[in-house]
Amino acid sequence: MTGSAIVKMAWRNLWRQRRRTVLTLISIAFGGFLAVLMTAMQDRSFADFIDNAARFGAGHVTLQHPEYQDQPTLTRSISLSEEDRAKDSSDEDVLKIVDRTAGQAMVSTASDTFGAMFIAYDPEREDENTMEFTEGLTAGKLFETAKDDGIILGRTLAKNLDANLGDKVVFTLTDRSGEIVSGMERVSGIVTTGSVSTDAALVLLPIGTVRKVVGYDPTETTQVAVFLDNGRKSVEVAQRLRERHGGDYAVLTWDEIQPEIKAFIAMKVGGGRVFEIVIGILVAAGIFNTILMSVLERTREFGIMLAIGYSPRQLFAMVMAESAFLGAMGLVLGVLLTAGPYYYLYNTGIDMGPIMAENMESFDIGGVGMDTVLRIGIFPENAAAIAIAIVVATLAAGIYPAWKAGRVDPVESINLV
Amino acid sequence: MSTPIVEMHGVTKVFRTGAVETKALRGLDLQVQRGEFTAIWGPSGSGKSTALNLIGALDTPTSGTVKVDGQDLGTMSRKQLSAMRRDRIGFVFQAYNLIPVLTAYENAESVMALQGTSASEREQRVMTLLEEVGLKGMEHRRPYEMSGGQQQRVAIARAIASNPAVVLADEPTANVDSATAENLLTIMAKLNQEQGITFLFSTHDPRVMTYARRLVGLVDGVVDSDRSKDAGAE
Repeated sequence: MTGSAIVKMAWRNLWRQRRRTVLTLISIAFGGFLAVLMTAMQDRSFADFIDNAARFGAGHVTLQHPEYQDQPTLTRSISLSEEDRAKDSSDEDVLKIVDRTAGQAMVSTASDTFGAMFIAYDPEREDENTMEFTEGLTAGKLFETAKDDGIILGRTLAKNLDANLGDKVVFTLTDRSGEIVSGMERVSGIVTTGSVSTDAALVLLPIGTVRKVVGYDPTETTQVAVFLDNGRKSVEVAQRLRERHGGDYAVLTWDEIQPEIKAFIAMKVGGGRVFEIVIGILVAAGIFNTILMSVLERTREFGIMLAIGYSPRQLFAMVMAESAFLGAMGLVLGVLLTAGPYYYLYNTGIDMGPIMAENMESFDIGGVGMDTVLRIGIFPENAAAIAIAIVVATLAAGIYPAWKAGRVDPVESINLV
Repeated sequence: MSTPIVEMHGVTKVFRTGAVETKALRGLDLQVQRGEFTAIWGPSGSGKSTALNLIGALDTPTSGTVKVDGQDLGTMSRKQLSAMRRDRIGFVFQAYNLIPVLTAYENAESVMALQGTSASEREQRVMTLLEEVGLKGMEHRRPYEMSGGQQQRVAIARAIASNPAVVLADEPTANVDSATAENLLTIMAKLNQEQGITFLFSTHDPRVMTYARRLVGLVDGVVDSDRSKDAGAE
């Protein structure tokens, strides 16, 4: 008998118990729907989180002094020539390359003194794709050039220092030779990042001001931050930059710069996988139950088929084809079921701000702020993995019933006596 | 005399349920020649259905030899037995023996399809057979759209479509009314007479015994009587 005849019988068999088949398809589709939404939520939050970490830190890929990672002081600086910057910028995955100088500082007002973390940046090179804080300005204004006057404080730090717009703030840091140097600026802006700990320590300065205070050259900086169209390409871009620059700089990816974030994401991905496996097992158990029941109901029929010459292998193939149809149709139904909610959550999302405000003091992980609007976006390989998992789970669920169909005893099942 | 289509020599069959042994056949010897229209009859528990199961390669004897078309079933693998059922044996069961998702035509052609017969050859053969069993015009009906008698006629067409050495019919008239039973028996008798197809029945039905040309009576798993209407008592 040809394979097409077996497939035709399998297709018709599915519709003998229409309601049961439809319910099974719905359970497969709903399982797929849950898996896609959960994964898409996770993928999007991680992608956004990585972008935020890159904006807050030093890009998706960072060029820095080879010893800066172990000794992050202003003495470990680099200078990227305009020629090299232009070459790096021409990489198809590179969105922008900016200088960042960061370090520890003491900030003082007439009222108090606090330890802080300063980030010096070039406002003319940065934009909303590279600078996390532009959306969190609560008072004053952001810098417009690298040589602007002023200092921007995190909201909690400003409160602790009792500093308001226009108040004098003295910042103290160590220069390139390890000497303590100071500068004085007036508060020109106050920002919030969503992270309480970051807001209590953040100081933003124009990079020109810091270069002048610490004695850097006009192109000198501690880090060159490379921003990408897609943060997930950081490893391959970093590799290309390493090849281009040889050993002049240490070229690190965002997760090498901030390993605690990588560890957090890995932990969450692991948890998500467990959840997906549980969903997969539940869906597979439902399908297994359905297929096994349909096989047990047809015991006599299988006995007759074996008696007239069908082989156990052909019966196995027929039941497996039924499973494959269930998997494929469940997948299509799952796509239809998921499309609408996915489109809405991808584009519009749900504002979780009010709920998060009630339950969380700080919207951050490791000091990196999180978006309060819940949006989703699944990585293509994860979408493919879910689709494959659904089909594989459905096929796996069919194996035992299919084997059982071929093992029916014709004498007992037909009750020839 | 040519090689018998069916040969059983010293066949025993013992069923064990826990510690209880039931001897269904106790040394059965039987030969069926090509072209016979034979009924095995006897009371319940006499072993007639067990004998049919063994001839049909659906079960294996405890001891003894069963040969179909000259081939010893006891020496065959599962795969070979499956091929034997497909190619050399036709089955007609009591009832509900069609594949529900296939039409009358598809049911009738199914065994030929398993044999790998070409679609055109199948069509020619099946359409002829369906006409012979009185089902012309009903090719596209599913089993649930046909009466019990019509279904049995499709089963007969399926059983003989593959040109088997023998058709085994287990109580083929048990689930149909008298008129339908007469009709089915007439069809089978005609196929036997005109095409020389060998039929072997297991039955309680006196009508089958009326049509049968040879009656083999079983009692307690052995042949108690064997009478040929053509040659007189044996």
